Amino acid sequence: MTRRLGIAGAVLLVALIIASDWIFGGAPNPYRAPDPIAWGSSSGASGAICTFAPPTPGQ
Amino acid sequence: MYRGVRYALTACLGIAIGFTLERFGFGFAGPWRRLIRERQGQGVLAQCVAIGLTAIVIQPLIASSSSLLGAIAPISLTMILGAFVFGFAMQLILGCGSGTLVNAGSGNLIALVALPAFCVGSFLGTLILPAAMASTPHVAISLPETLGVPQSLLVTLLGLVALAWWATRGQGGDRWNRPLLIAALCIAALASLHVLIAGQPWGVVYGLGLWAAKMAMGLGWEPSAAAFWVHPINAQALSNSVLTDTTSLTDFGLIFGAALAAWKGAGKTPLTPMVRWWLYGAIVLAGLALGVSSRLAFGCNVGALFSGIASGSVHGWVWLVAAFVGSVGGVRVRDWLWQRATKTEAA
Repeated sequence: MTRRLGIAGAVLLVALIIASDWIFGGAPNPYRAPDPIAWGSSSGASGAICTFAPPTPGQ
Repeated sequence: MYRGVRYALTACLGIAIGFTLERFGFGFAGPWRRLIRERQGQGVLAQCVAIGLTAIVIQPLIASSSSLLGAIAPISLTMILGAFVFGFAMQLILGCGSGTLVNAGSGNLIALVALPAFCVGSFLGTLILPAAMASTPHVAISLPETLGVPQSLLVTLLGLVALAWWATRGQGGDRWNRPLLIAALCIAALASLHVLIAGQPWGVVYGLGLWAAKMAMGLGWEPSAAAFWVHPINAQALSNSVLTDTTSLTDFGLIFGAALAAWKGAGKTPLTPMVRWWLYGAIVLAGLALGVSSRLAFGCNVGALFSGIASGSVHGWVWLVAAFVGSVGGVRVRDWLWQRATKTEAA
């Protein structure tokens, strides 16, 4: 067994995540897509980012 | 006419980043390990070049446009502890946020075992983050907002020059590694494009936690009880397709890009490393620790270190110091663990 099996496993993992999300959560809504690039558009960043810090009371 | 173009471009950026990281061997955990063990700082120098070039482009861009967002996060005791644990754990599996995805994409069994645990850990981290934030003061400092963009850039670049000098001081041989510098230029260009297209800097761990949260929902978990996930931004990410989430798209791209770069050589490399079975248990624990700690630290080596410092967030610098101290311990423990786990012919 070579690493190609591992590569196939990784690609399969991604496919499973996308497929299960599609099946249980629904497909992307093409009518809610943002502008092609965020820079200079009215639809900017989503804000769903690693540095996201939920506001806490008193801070 | 332009439906979904941003998502497609974001995924393509992820593929290009993954291909570059794998093709040129550019990373974070490995170069830190070489600096700690062998005093070889070429990889860290390349990291500084990539972050500095990205900062030069994105700090003025973000300051000039309300549609763009920087990777600014707060500093706190729990954040420092999280970064320390992340630095420790990433040395155990020799894979950081981007490294684990790229290694998994290149067929590395250790990363393939660690990745699901990383996702679960990142999700668990979202559940404890609100309590962590309530327990200690969290202070966010944005250099561009505090000092202005020119001064912020000057401070950022001087800090990176000092770091590069420290990492390569007293190093024998050439400080400049040509393939790593080419990779640094490519990564800086791609990370800058990421801000222009997605509106926010490159990140990794948010997507991993989101995937696990979606899986948990499928198993009956109720997000309305979790303070992190009831915030409108996160609630929207949960209800929308992963194909519309920025970090998920680049994460998928990283795996595909690394797979493309590694496919040719992967036919000659064995899948299973010669290690004892119990090491995989340690790898799962390290993966969980990576996930939880990166959430508490507001990002991994990409979201916090690379994008944080490039955006002018002081939290990125604090993350760097805490994670490097953790890495020093992690390198020692990894050597000890692998020495005992590696199978020899006599064993």
